[in-house]
This record gives sequence, C-alpha cells and structure tokens, in this order.
Amino acid sequence: MKLLNKTVRSYLMGSFIILLVIVPIFYFVVKTVLLHAVDKSLTLQLKDIRSNLPSVHSSSELDTWAKLDKDIRLEKSSGYFKDTISTRYIKRNDKDNDPDPVRQLDASIRVEGNFYRLIISISLVENEDLLTSIVLVQTLLLILLMAGILWINRKISKKLWMPFYSTLSIIRKYELNKHEAIEFIETKTEEFNDLNKNLELLLNRNHTIYLSQKEFTENAAHEMQTPLAIFQGQLENLMQTAPLTEEQAQLIDHLGNNIQRLIRLNRSLLMMAKIENDEFQPTERVNVSEVASRFTSSYLSFIRKKEIQLFEQYPQEIWIQANRSLIEVLISNLVSNAVRYNISGGQIQIETGSGFLHIKNTGNPHRLSEDKIYERFSRQGNHQEGVGLGLAMVRRICEMYNFPLKYHYEEGIHAFRIDFPFNSSD
Amino acid sequence: MKILIVEDEKELSNNIVKYLQSENYLCETAADCKTAWEKIDGFDYDCILLDVSLPDGNGLSLLEDLKKNGKTDGVIIISARDSITDRIRGLDLGADDYLVKPFHLSELNARVSAVIRRRRFNGQNIIVLNEITIDLQAKVVLIQNNPIELTRKEYDLLLFLATNKNRVISKNAIAEHLLGTQVDFLDNFDFIYTHIKNLKKKLIQAGGADNIKSLYGTGYKFEVRV
Repeated sequence: MKLLNKTVRSYLMGSFIILLVIVPIFYFVVKTVLLHAVDKSLTLQLKDIRSNLPSVHSSSELDTWAKLDKDIRLEKSSGYFKDTISTRYIKRNDKDNDPDPVRQLDASIRVEGNFYRLIISISLVENEDLLTSIVLVQTLLLILLMAGILWINRKISKKLWMPFYSTLSIIRKYELNKHEAIEFIETKTEEFNDLNKNLELLLNRNHTIYLSQKEFTENAAHEMQTPLAIFQGQLENLMQTAPLTEEQAQLIDHLGNNIQRLIRLNRSLLMMAKIENDEFQPTERVNVSEVASRFTSSYLSFIRKKEIQLFEQYPQEIWIQANRSLIEVLISNLVSNAVRYNISGGQIQIETGSGFLHIKNTGNPHRLSEDKIYERFSRQGNHQEGVGLGLAMVRRICEMYNFPLKYHYEEGIHAFRIDFPFNSSD
Repeated sequence: MKILIVEDEKELSNNIVKYLQSENYLCETAADCKTAWEKIDGFDYDCILLDVSLPDGNGLSLLEDLKKNGKTDGVIIISARDSITDRIRGLDLGADDYLVKPFHLSELNARVSAVIRRRRFNGQNIIVLNEITIDLQAKVVLIQNNPIELTRKEYDLLLFLATNKNRVISKNAIAEHLLGTQVDFLDNFDFIYTHIKNLKKKLIQAGGADNIKSLYGTGYKFEVRV
C-alpha cells in the first residue's frame, strides 16, 4: 500500500471512530442542556405562581386561573408532598400510537387551608425536533470538517513526500556500472536532505569499491600474462630437447593443454574486465549478418566434424552502430556455443529478420536455467570445454547496447534471440 | 641474421633467444630503453622484438625514434596489451607486426621469418625444404616441379611447419596459428590431426617423402634432411 493511501486510510478510520463516539455524546449533552432549560422554566413558573398565591382567596378563583393557562392543571390533594419533575408521555387521543413527550412539574400548594396538586407541563415535542436538527447539522459539519482535513492532509503529504519520491526514482534508475554523477534535489526537509546525503555517500563509496574491483581484475589478469608467457615458452623449449620418452612427451603435452586453458581463461577474464571497464568505446556501422556468416565459416571444420547441419538465412542485413570487436565477441560466443554444446548430427539454424538475430541449435534435451546461464563460471551439464564466461560476456554486451536478449527452449532446441532496436535494415 | 630482443622480463627473453638461436639467428637482448637504443644506434638488426612496457619508458617511443632516424630494421611489437587501438597505434608507427603475450615461440618464429623475408627479398622468395619448394609469392607448393593442390589451411599448416623446421610444434600452437585466438576449441585436436593427415597424404601422393613426424601424437615436426 502506498504511503499516501496508508496515512489517508488511518485518518479515515480514526475519524470514523471519533464520529461514532462523539455523535451520541453530543446528543446526550444537548438533550440534557435542553431539558435543564425546560426544568428551569418550569421551576420559574412555579415560583411565580407561589409568589402570587397570597392574592388568591378562594378555590374558585384558583380554578379560573388554571383554566386560563392550558399548561396548568389543579387537582385536590390530601396533603403536602415534595415538588417533582418528570417526563411523561401523553396520548393526544386513544388512537395515538406515538405519545408526545411532556415535561411535568408536580407541586403542592395550599389555598385557604386546602392542599392542591399543581401540575405544570411543557411539551417536549419542539425540543426533540430542535435536538434532532442540532445533532444532524453538527454531524454534517463534523463530516465536512473531517473530509476537509483529509483532503488538506493528502495535499500536504503529497507535497511533503515529493522529495522522497524523486529520490526514489533517481535510485531506481541508478546502475552501478553506469555510474553517472547522482544529483538529488535539495529540499527544505532536514530528514530528506540527510537521507540524500547518506545515499550519495553510500553510492559513491560503492562505486569506488566497484571501480577498484574492476581495476583489480584487469590488473591481475594483465600481471598473469608474463608468467604465463614464460611458462609456455619454456614448455616449448622443453619440447625441443632430445631424446624425449613417450612419457615425458605426454607430460609436456598435458602441461601445455592446461597452460593453454589458463591462458584462455585469463584472456576471457581480461576481455570481461575490459568490457566492464568500457574500454570498447569507438563505434562504427557493423553488419550483424556479415559477422555471423564470417564466424560460422570459421567454425565450419568443427561443424563438419560433428556432422552438424548448418542452416543460415540472412534475408535482411542488419546494420547497427556499435563497437566491432564487441559485436564479434558477442556473435562468436553464441556461434561457438551452438557448435560446442551441440550433439553429433545435430542442427544449427542462424537467421536474421527485421531487427533481430536468431541462433538455434540442438543440444542437451534439458531446458537451461535462465537465471544461471548468464552467470560467470556457471556450467550446466558436464561440459568441461568452455571457460564459463562466454554467455556472461554476451549478456554484458547486450546490456551495454540495450539489446534485448532472450533464451528459449523447446523440444531439444536451444534458441537465443537478440533484438536490435535501433537498426536500419538496408 | 641479427635479432634484438627488447624485453625486461629476463626469463622471457631467454626463452625467445633459446628458441630463435637454433634457427641460426644471432640474438641480442636489451632489458630497457637506454640499452636498446644504444644497440639500435650502433648496429643494424634484421628484426627487433619490442616490448611496450619497459622500466624506463614506452617501447613505442623507441619505435618512433627508430623511424625518425631513418632506420629500416624490422620491428615486431610483443605486448601484453591487446586492444585494437594499441595494435593500430603500433602498426601506424611503422611496426611490421604485433604479437600479444602470451604467444607460442613457434608463432613468434614464424612472424620473425616472415618479417625478415619481406625485408630481405621484398617478399619474392622461395623456401626449399628437401624436395618441397614453397613459392611464397604465388602461394604455390611444388614437388619436383609439379604443383600440388592444397587447401588454404593445409598451405598455412605446411608453411608454419616449414618455418619451424626440425622443431616440434605443439598441437596448441598449430591450432592457434590456424584458427586464431577467437576460435578456441582446444580439447578437440581431431581437427589438427585431420589436417596433418590430409597434408601428409597429399605430399606423399605427389612423390614427396614422409617429412612430417609426430612426437607421440603430442606435436609435429617437419624434418629436413641435411
């Protein structure tokens, strides 16, 4: 869930709970206040009546008085009782199912030695209506207020978190091997500035480590060239010594093969390091189909030896702007893999279409794990021949030029497809 | 024929000297620019093997000085650096060839003799080994004046064996010579065996002797009868 939605959601939930609690409380408070006002007016009225009582001299006078005011009733009573106030529900007629609430004050008065029960009542119907209106209006106001706060909060959050999102998009685009100077946008929020500063430090530190690592690989591979050259030279001179027994010759041969393997490995490492170090800068127009057909012909003797059928189709020339050496490394690796990991009597199919190169070959009847094939030194199956860097180089070169590279397996056929997005097929 | 080896790695230059000496080349060595220049200035060499990174400077500047002084010694750059730009720079400065370390001594020898032949005989020359004659200009092989038809790979193979005559050449060296470094199917030497077999067959069928000998299947040698 997005941060923004998350805050908004929390706000909504909180507001809803507050609303649920506040509205009933509000209702009861208003109701009590209103009732209190009614009671006060009742008491005042009673006080008024009581203060006027000494001027009343007969019960008939009292009756007349009571008749004048609809809200006052008089009843004979047997003795004195305490004043009480209560709410009653009075039906207007017998059929009335919804009796009206009435606040009623019962008081005891004495006129000429007789006790009377004085009942003063005020209808609460209007009060109830008022209460309902007040609560409704207030609730509406509350809801509007909360919506407003929510909206403002959303606006503010969006603005507040903007630097965060811009930082995020910068990091998302960042690639360690294509280190460009990272520039975060200065903000007024201390925390974000802090975050940006630390991220910058972290990325720069990583890049420095990455650079020295790359440099190390290249330097190490370079340093190994001389001892390897010496070793190989001495082996060749040793081979010229005579007489050599068969055993000695075989030992020299094995040494030679292994030193050769070491040399190839070192060459590949060096090549890989150079690719990583962007040492293949100059670009030119390269004809992909021409490079492909050149490499298949240089592997022709091996293709014949393994009795592999080769199908080449170049209906469309693909011209790309790239470094020639890199494209040669790219294609020669794919072609040599297609030969190396093929089965005797198998097939290789190489074709170009509008903006793509397809290399398919028969081979092990297993799908290769796409996560692993491009990894350095990851060998699948028990092939010992390859150095284990070929496809890693292929992928790196494709990444450099943004050529989509896909591996596909179907019924014993392994296929690699490279798309050349910006080619001009002419 | 005189050869100067400018290389700061003593052991490597010793290896080179040892291999080239048996070709009857007169080899001298220099481990830094200063010594190298003293020698270049004082004598003429048929071929100079020039390392690029030397303790007291760049081998390429030595090459520049050489050309500035109007010297015509053949130069082969032997460098640990393998990039197109380095290669082009070296050749632009007037080097005859560029060989990347590590290399096979047999390969170096083949390049040296090619440079010497080009300089001495203007490329028009003929190698005669026993009854075999190789015309380098016409790229034709003759046995008792009868031309034999060889494929390009077989011709290259014969020439490579011939320039390294009487020396055992490992299968690895042959494979790299014929295929280059980009094609590295090392564990499959059937390929070389097939080429050798075909070449031998063609030479014998044309009336030649069985000059190509195998050292227990580990390497091959073109034997020249004295």
